[in-house]
Amino acid sequence: MDYIYTILILIGLFVILASSFDLVIGHCGLISIAHPIFYALGAYVSAMLAKEGGVPIPLAMLAGGAAAFLASVLVALPSLRVSGDYLLIASIGFQLGLIEFAKHIHSIGGAGGLTNIPSFLVNSYGRLSYVILVLAVAVLTVLFVRWLTSGPYGRMMAAMRDDELAFSMLGRNAIWVKVSVFAIGSGIAGVAGGLYAHYFRFLEPDQFGLLQSSAILTMVVVGGMRTTWGPVIGAVVLQILPQAITFLGLPPSILGPLQGLMFSGLVLVFMFARPQGLLAAPDIWAGRSTRERADG
Amino acid sequence: MLNATVISQILWTSLATSSYFVLFAVAFALVLKVNKVFNFAQAGMMTCAFYSAYVAVRVLEFSGPVGFVAAIAGGAAMAFILERFGFSVLRHRRASPMFVFIFTLIASQFITYAMTMIFGTWPTTIFASMFWPVSIIANVAVSAWDLPALGATILVLVVLWAFLRFTRYGQFMIAVADNADLAELYGIRKDRVLMVSMLVAGIICGIGMFLYGTRAQVQPAAATELMLFAVAATILGGIGNLWGAALAAVVLGLVQNSSILFIPSAWQGFLLYAFLFFAIVLFPSGFHLPERSKRLKRTVVAPVVVSDAKEG
Repeated sequence: MDYIYTILILIGLFVILASSFDLVIGHCGLISIAHPIFYALGAYVSAMLAKEGGVPIPLAMLAGGAAAFLASVLVALPSLRVSGDYLLIASIGFQLGLIEFAKHIHSIGGAGGLTNIPSFLVNSYGRLSYVILVLAVAVLTVLFVRWLTSGPYGRMMAAMRDDELAFSMLGRNAIWVKVSVFAIGSGIAGVAGGLYAHYFRFLEPDQFGLLQSSAILTMVVVGGMRTTWGPVIGAVVLQILPQAITFLGLPPSILGPLQGLMFSGLVLVFMFARPQGLLAAPDIWAGRSTRERADG
Repeated sequence: MLNATVISQILWTSLATSSYFVLFAVAFALVLKVNKVFNFAQAGMMTCAFYSAYVAVRVLEFSGPVGFVAAIAGGAAMAFILERFGFSVLRHRRASPMFVFIFTLIASQFITYAMTMIFGTWPTTIFASMFWPVSIIANVAVSAWDLPALGATILVLVVLWAFLRFTRYGQFMIAVADNADLAELYGIRKDRVLMVSMLVAGIICGIGMFLYGTRAQVQPAAATELMLFAVAATILGGIGNLWGAALAAVVLGLVQNSSILFIPSAWQGFLLYAFLFFAIVLFPSGFHLPERSKRLKRTVVAPVVVSDAKEG
């Protein structure tokens, strides 16, 4: 039963990550794959505050989210002032740089990882209580993203994403919209990091590298970008699918690359065969609108 | 202790090791300039080039020159596959730049995982030994690898310059880089030019990975880090400026190698990402050479002044 609870917790965490990532990459059109580093920041900050500072865990989790929020502003603000493309490269530099940095800081466990992170709820109320907490946060995240993207703020994001020049000509501040969406998405990932840290109680810098980026991107692309339920379906399918491979009894040296091959291969297949994902948002990947193309 | 000999040694080693960094940076900058793609799949081309040479030399036990040709063939073959079945298809679908970029990233990851499945994660080299005989020249240790590597890099740069300057396809590449639509109106076959650009980048990556693989250990994920170095150099050199990227790669190599004097060696890897981040934040348009711009302005302005004088 513990195994199933753990899978449910992972599904919940990846629903949070995929939905918040879809807000950034899908709804706002910001090119970044560094979502896992904000997940890591939330996890490490929450773990260190609870372990070393004695901060109550719910507060530490929120502080983790706030740290991710602030860090994302620091990354996004200078790079977005230049061009959207630069956000991607700056964020990759930030992601891999911070992982490399964390590997050399012994006070947070270094490359060997941070252990003995205080647990939350599990010891007092059992694992089911933590499953309920994570799934509740996941549902809240999905509803929040849906609310945000379907209201006036969502229309503003869509307008900016579809025609940034026209958006700016109307006196709107595109940089502010981009930075705020990036920060909101990253902040949510930070809270997910806190939830991860206090259940699994072990953090290692390499967990939050490009493999994790590929996994979250796969969930969004396969599920359907810029849709409410696409990232949810992607997260559920792509959390359950690798579990099937683990039952094959393959050695870890094969299992890791095989999962990576599966994730990246699935994205490639979907990119060419069904670019809109399992759930389709209209004309998601086109460089020009359908009408423009019809006009030639 | 810091003295002239130590400084000379660090400068020489940095210059020698920057040879492959220069090649990776030029390959990345070329595709960005002509194809207008941040080609992160270059890491896949590099990985493929290395393992082609590895299979030729270590598995099939062919000689070094055969391994060299295999590296070039591997890099070029992967470049062909990426362009023919990836970029070309996406271009015709008018995919957004974000989509194309994600494709490069995922393709690179896919190749890395495929190579990990085949060759494992254990680091390896093209030759059984990566130790080269060393000669002492003016108190500086110069390995037998250094001079051929530097020579090969300079030769590649000269050939590339001559190719872009004097050959038909080189000129087509410059035309497409400047204005692809206008180039097509003049009858230049854009798809073919973009394929040539990718193949040239693949060949350069092949040469670079052969040099790297004969000096350092490589595992499937290593190319990603090398490629990020090329990205930082391309940005610092100024996007669209191949020779600026090459120069920036030399400077970055020098800074990274000489950093051992100031910081523990364990932190050298971290420097790369710091470069990448600060290159974007502080020098998003790269470095510019003001004198060259002035000279260019004079050559453009001069005929106008003469014609005005004649009219007067």
